[in-house]
Amino acid sequence: MKNKNSLPLIMVHDVDYVYSNGTIALKQVSLNINKGEFIAIMGQNGAGKTTLIRTFNGLIRPTKGSIYLEGVNIDSKTIATISKKVGVIFQNPMHQLFSNTLEDEIKFSLKNLNLDKEEIQIKVDQVLEEFDLEKYRKRSPLNLSGGESKKLAIASILCRDPDILVFDEPTLGQDAKEINFLLGLIKNELERGKTIIMVTHNIEFTVEHVPRTILMSGGQIIADGPTESIFNNEFLISKSSLIMSQIYLFKKELQKIGITIPKEVIRESEIINFLDNYLESKSTI
Amino acid sequence: MSLEFLSAFKFLKKETFLHNLDPRTKLLLAITYTISALLFQEIIPLLLILITLLPVIIVGRLFKKWMKSVKGMSFLYIFIIVLNTLFIDENGLSFAIAMILRITIMISAFSLFFLTVDPNDLALSLITMKIPYEYAFSFSLAFRFVPTIAIETQNIIDAQQSRGYEMQKKGIINQIKNLFPLLVPLIVSSIKRAFNVAEALESRSFGNKKDRTFYYTIRYSLKDWIFSLYLILLLTSLIFIKINFLLMPLWFRWSLPL
Repeated sequence: MKNKNSLPLIMVHDVDYVYSNGTIALKQVSLNINKGEFIAIMGQNGAGKTTLIRTFNGLIRPTKGSIYLEGVNIDSKTIATISKKVGVIFQNPMHQLFSNTLEDEIKFSLKNLNLDKEEIQIKVDQVLEEFDLEKYRKRSPLNLSGGESKKLAIASILCRDPDILVFDEPTLGQDAKEINFLLGLIKNELERGKTIIMVTHNIEFTVEHVPRTILMSGGQIIADGPTESIFNNEFLISKSSLIMSQIYLFKKELQKIGITIPKEVIRESEIINFLDNYLESKSTI
Repeated sequence: MSLEFLSAFKFLKKETFLHNLDPRTKLLLAITYTISALLFQEIIPLLLILITLLPVIIVGRLFKKWMKSVKGMSFLYIFIIVLNTLFIDENGLSFAIAMILRITIMISAFSLFFLTVDPNDLALSLITMKIPYEYAFSFSLAFRFVPTIAIETQNIIDAQQSRGYEMQKKGIINQIKNLFPLLVPLIVSSIKRAFNVAEALESRSFGNKKDRTFYYTIRYSLKDWIFSLYLILLLTSLIFIKINFLLMPLWFRWSLPL
């Protein structure tokens, strides 16, 4: 028998999904996700990204194939059971906020875990403080700004402490400060051993921070690998209706004036280091 | 919970006799069948009314969609049977079956209307009925948003289920309470969308000109007149039967011996 730790955390095995109107959303998708990974799923609109992440917590059951969570097929598990381990944070926070106060909104998520009152209150206080929402505790979630309501939606999933966090377009409509907050939060969760999967169109964010990228097109995975190898492949990027990153274009311009930067250098800090060293070596000559 | 039955109210472009009828004729069809269904409380006449609707459904090549809507409403049917059998002492089951037939006729008639009337044609037909353009447009817009709201409802259900919300809970009070996490976001997002649409319309000078003209026009054709005449005759005959109901043969008033 295989050791539980040696198994992938999520295993997507030969999954197809066909909508009732006949649209094929997923076609022979197979994928392994290990504990502690940070993965971006990218591709054009309609590529099947959101459909794929909805299969992770059983919101959508594959037409063919299976999803395994820690080696166990989730087919017979309820969404409520799977969502204890897999927290999906949706694109539009307004789709879930309904309570009278922020406090009640967080409580709703925790009550579904059948925790006792005191435990719930402790967690609510913790989460509101962590997300800097303490000052709005008694305010209606419907009066929050776009960024704040997104924060609350994330908080209401994070308070359940799932092992896997799945974000659908987390950076969409967020300002730089909010994206930085999100990044801090993701780093913190990764340090705690959580696995993070995000569907995104944000190329710069992915290139800069996400180690593994999955590209989808027409319901299939067309590439899966280290972000630096994916974002050096112009063919794949154009096939997914994405554009090359700013750093890649900058590298190309530098090449025209004779400065060749290695392929694996794709992040801002890496290129600054490289150019620092390059200029230093030039000045010593 | 599947909201697939709502697809039975989404316009589907097809080339059939029913689709090619004027929207006003189809509105007359929906009204005729609704009034007819309300006229009777007995199984046989309601069943006969439903049977007269079937050829229309078949001609419109909408049988599968219609079945889907009927299946989708099955939870309501169970509700009707349980409540009527429990709370009506005499002929409870017969009454419940009659009510199911009545609802099926009304849903089917309106489902036929929504499935075969293009929202743009609907606005035009309302205008020809002397309804101000602003109201006609709002009505057709509301009509166009039915599938959007269905998709949004599914997204809300998904979002709530992702944080442990369970759809099926025991007890009527729990089930009512359980609706809040779905209804509040749905109402809020619908109101927000309404404001956004209103602003988008105003920013494109909606309502600027009172005496506007239309690119497309609709006209009552011979087949519309014939079909409307059939509907009026059907309704008149049913009203006649209702007035003289006691003179009808016994089998016409049959009910289950329960």
